[in-house]
Amino acid sequence: MRTSWRIVLVHTVTFKQARQWVPAVLAIGAFRGLSDGPWAVVVIAAAVTAVSLVGAVLGWWRFSYAPGDTAVVVTRGLLSRSVRTVPLDRVRGVEVEAPVLHRLLGLVRVRIDAAAGAVQGDEEELVVDGLPPAEADRLRTHLLARRAAGVPAEAFAADPPEEEFARLDDRWLLYAPLVGSYLAVPLAAVGALFRLVDELPRSWRPDLDRPDLSATAVVGVALLAVAVLLVVGSIVGSALVNWRFRLVRRGGSLVAVRGLLTRRHTELEIDRIRGCTVSEGLGMRLVRAARATALVTGLGDAARRGQLLPLGPRAEAWAVTGRLVEDPGPLRPHPPAARRRRLVRAVAPGAVVAVAGAVLTAAAGLWWVLALGVALAVLGVPLGLGRYAALGHVAGERTFAVRSGWLVREQAVLQRRAVVGWQVHQSFFQRRQGLATVVAAVGAGAGGYRALDVAAQDAVPFAVAASGRWAGTLAP
Amino acid sequence: MHPDPARTPAWSPSRNAIGLWTVEGVLGTLVLVAAVVAVEVLAPLPTWLAVLLPVLVVAEAVVAVGVRPRLRFRVHRWEVTDDAVYTLTGWLSRTWTLVPVSRIQTVDVTRGVVQQLFGLASVAVLTASSQGTVRIPHLDAAVAARVADDLARRAELVRDEAT
Repeated sequence: MRTSWRIVLVHTVTFKQARQWVPAVLAIGAFRGLSDGPWAVVVIAAAVTAVSLVGAVLGWWRFSYAPGDTAVVVTRGLLSRSVRTVPLDRVRGVEVEAPVLHRLLGLVRVRIDAAAGAVQGDEEELVVDGLPPAEADRLRTHLLARRAAGVPAEAFAADPPEEEFARLDDRWLLYAPLVGSYLAVPLAAVGALFRLVDELPRSWRPDLDRPDLSATAVVGVALLAVAVLLVVGSIVGSALVNWRFRLVRRGGSLVAVRGLLTRRHTELEIDRIRGCTVSEGLGMRLVRAARATALVTGLGDAARRGQLLPLGPRAEAWAVTGRLVEDPGPLRPHPPAARRRRLVRAVAPGAVVAVAGAVLTAAAGLWWVLALGVALAVLGVPLGLGRYAALGHVAGERTFAVRSGWLVREQAVLQRRAVVGWQVHQSFFQRRQGLATVVAAVGAGAGGYRALDVAAQDAVPFAVAASGRWAGTLAP
Repeated sequence: MHPDPARTPAWSPSRNAIGLWTVEGVLGTLVLVAAVVAVEVLAPLPTWLAVLLPVLVVAEAVVAVGVRPRLRFRVHRWEVTDDAVYTLTGWLSRTWTLVPVSRIQTVDVTRGVVQQLFGLASVAVLTASSQGTVRIPHLDAAVAARVADDLARRAELVRDEAT
């Protein structure tokens, strides 16, 4: 089956196939100089567009997909044909996106997430770009409906009742500046802008007077402007991605819809969810905000695909998590030896710098190194205490939880059946203090979730309580 | 000192592993000697450094050839029980790894060049998680093959929909 011909228009405009040529053309243009006048620019632009159009037509013509009963076959490629066959039972999730251009032409893009192999949770993503929405819906139903073997796809035509799990309140977008990854968006945009300005020929560059940097007022205003830009930029970036985020349960799937310019529709099977994580960054903790993500087998660490709540109050994040995994109970604190260890590790770098500073002060009078070392060491105390306060673990009836981290405090709640192995680490220092670190190997999310610095004699009982009697092999 | 958090697995790798580690130690030392000789000949060094480097190399040689192989043999342990595969590695920093047979996805047996000289092989048990990998290095080739077969067969029998 072919995708719609209208996708050729989209690909031409976005230079999808000709993308690798654009920098080359820019380089040639910059080298030769655009002194020949505006006509040269027009000719070059027309040539590149023509190349892009031809590339798009060929790409569309040679792309075909065949949703069969047991596998999806995607054939593509101009000179070297590639035929990819993905068995339907390896399909983990399907995402349907509608970027702006696609929406104007009435098309959507389908991304199919499949586990490529049994080992390492390698991800494979098939992209079918340029389908009409109805066709995309049919494809999605076909891909995710094979669970019920023997039941024809038509039985799923009527939408099963929806149950809403979470909805993003617009006010929660204001939390965006507290999330590190959203701050990166305006920074990247500014960086790209500067690079672009650099590449323009000299005659086109705006003529600005160099600001007088020695005046503190100027610096202050500039810093304020940067701060405001970062805050606004991150909110806008977050709004673009998470606009009207809504999470519903439809039958056996969890469906998330979000996005402003590009509308994304992600579907995951609830069966494949093995646990959830709730993470709170440093800034977010101050305002009691959090993010919730589901750990889905086969999706690896595709954080965006498994998001249950991208931003929101902590209570909401836990409410959503509670609907998918059972609460194992309150976290148990770790022994006082763990606090000592965290403090030592946090203060040590500062102490080292202080010692070096003392030597340097005696030798060369560089007292500021000593001052820096002392400052770092003093700052290490709340850091170490904070790290200790974040530690906790508990094993419940069907689930267990571990928590750690200071800059980003992450609590992972995992199902018993998710555990595929255990690791117990004990460093030399841990041995002297009777501590150990227990890592649960899980076939989802980050692959391993650890309980840092538990009491050595609690390590194995925790593993047994968390996953089952087979972990008793470890018992001393 | 506090008691161990987990018990020590019962079996050791093959005795030939000591030979293999010794050979690896010798090769490493030779490379180090060549490097130090090159540095001493080509670059002018202060006398204390020129004397210190060979001393360090000799110390490293003693450790790598005399001490480390036997230590590693004492410290690496493995065991296959009714439900799980279990290993212990490390001396200063120890790691116990446990994988139940029901979660095994692949069992690999690999033989490097030096391993083939000594008649050894390594077994790697892979699961759905990259952190849940159990490696049993340097078993006798026949033992490794038997262990791999046994685990693969049992994993097939107990195949769980864990992932």
